[in-house]
Amino acid sequence: MSRMVVSELRVDRVHLPVVREVSLSVESGQISVLLGANGAGKTTLLEGLSGVIPVAGGKIEVDGHEIQRQRPGARVGAGLAHVEQGRTVFRQLTTNENLRAGAASASDVKKAYELFPELLPRRDVLAGLLSGGEQQMLVIARALAGRPKILLIDEMSAGLAPTIVRRLMTTVRKLADQGLAVVLVEQFAVLALAVGNRAYVLRRGKIVYDGACAELRDAPDKLHQLYLGSGS
Amino acid sequence: MNGLLTSAVAGLTAGGAYGLLGVCAVFTYRLVAVVNFTSAAIGTAGTFVLVVLNEAGIPLFPAVLCGLVAGVIAGVAIGLVMTKWFAESNASTKAAVTVALLVGIVAIGLRLTGGQHPHHFPDLFSGSAMRLAGVELTISSLLTIGLGVAFTILADVLLSRTRMGLHLRALSERPMAAELIGVPVQFLSILVWGITGAVTAFSLMIIAPQRSPDFMSLSLLVVPALAAALIGLFRSFWMTLIGGILIGVVEGMTSVIGGLNQYRGAVPFLIILAVMLWLQRGARWDEAR
Ligand SMILES: Nc1ncnc2c1ncn2[C@@H]1O[C@H](COP(=O)(O)OP(=O)(O)OP(=O)(O)O)[C@@H](O)[C@H]1O
Ligand SMILES: [Mg+2]
Repeated sequence: MSRMVVSELRVDRVHLPVVREVSLSVESGQISVLLGANGAGKTTLLEGLSGVIPVAGGKIEVDGHEIQRQRPGARVGAGLAHVEQGRTVFRQLTTNENLRAGAASASDVKKAYELFPELLPRRDVLAGLLSGGEQQMLVIARALAGRPKILLIDEMSAGLAPTIVRRLMTTVRKLADQGLAVVLVEQFAVLALAVGNRAYVLRRGKIVYDGACAELRDAPDKLHQLYLGSGS
Repeated sequence: MNGLLTSAVAGLTAGGAYGLLGVCAVFTYRLVAVVNFTSAAIGTAGTFVLVVLNEAGIPLFPAVLCGLVAGVIAGVAIGLVMTKWFAESNASTKAAVTVALLVGIVAIGLRLTGGQHPHHFPDLFSGSAMRLAGVELTISSLLTIGLGVAFTILADVLLSRTRMGLHLRALSERPMAAELIGVPVQFLSILVWGITGAVTAFSLMIIAPQRSPDFMSLSLLVVPALAAALIGLFRSFWMTLIGGILIGVVEGMTSVIGGLNQYRGAVPFLIILAVMLWLQRGARWDEAR
């Protein structure tokens, strides 16, 4: 069992607070879905969690240990993996080399191919030459090859065909059922809410909804209102 | 004719050293994305440690070891500055920072080593290895070239065959993505700086006895080194090594052609200019299509 608890997190961009007073949690077996309009601060929040940018205040605890002062590499050691927005494959490395770079052992690479069989025939192709969908599978597979306990995925479905998106969603659900804790940032709210457990909606850097996915799933109007802000 | 050949061969030691320094420059650029203008200065610092210890009566072998260690320390120090404060900067900013560091190191180096104050630079490998067609090949020329070839092969094998090489290639392409999958990026970057520090120090130790032995001139050997790296387009280790040797040989030949002698130092500049113009031509051609 793993658990990440975030309390009162603040993350700045160029000295301006972009993420403020954010508290959330995720644990093994659960998918926490993070929603919000463009520019709400979802990416910034994930980057604060993984250490890509330093946090300005608050706490991030993984299994009771505070990690908010650690370098990204140390947070990986604590069990975190971050699939960044924009398919950050190593373009000059082959598919197989991308996987090996992140894997602890050869069996982890093998498991990655079992999870994404599409990648197997592409194993010796430079990752820069893969299709968008293949690249997205590769970055997820690469993160999983490091056997994380907590997986942060940013914009998993950006630019992908609906069939692939559905497959990836099912895969992520399966991984959570096997014990992974997942924070999923998604534009396709409906699909994410269908597989997620808990949902958070972020607006201008603050959490404006924290509750069950099912509740939002059944009330599209409410979600719309949360995105835009009720007063405005 | 024979005179020209002799002087060309005499340029081999310098050429080998340029090649080796150039390969180090390519190594640093490809792996930690810095065009490092301080490389020769780092090597010079190591060489002066050797010289000063040797003058103080310490035998050659331990003095050389201390010099190499000094090269590693200097390289790591520069590497720490670059990774701590300029990791996020773009390539031209980083290059500018190393130029500034070069100026600083040369100033300190001149102060500590007493400017033109004559030091005795021990010839690590004196003597002749063999005679070929009546021309003498020195041990040091064979050694620098051999070392250049060895380092080139090692760098190639390291990058293409080992897990550390895989990590280094990932790091060179996307440092943050590499760190996020658990590649020990800080350790590897510092390792790159340390290795190149040792290798440049050794190259400088070999070439220093043939040069005007002050801190500034030795530090400026970075110019032919970067010219060699440019011939390899900052990518190919082999082209860089060959380019470095060629620069040395051309320099050697100019020394016997009357009147050209004084312009010996301009050879790398002319080569840089020629390569840049040639690349430019390619760019224009691309645009014209
Ligand atoms: N590098 C940066 N420097 C300054 N401001 C930034 C930077 N990156 C993002 N921002 C600002 O931070 C805010 C949040 O951006 P962020 O990328 O976290 O949003 P997001 O919710 O991920 O949006 P999207 O759905 O478009 O990916 C935006 O207002 C954006 O302008
Ligand atoms: Mg985003």
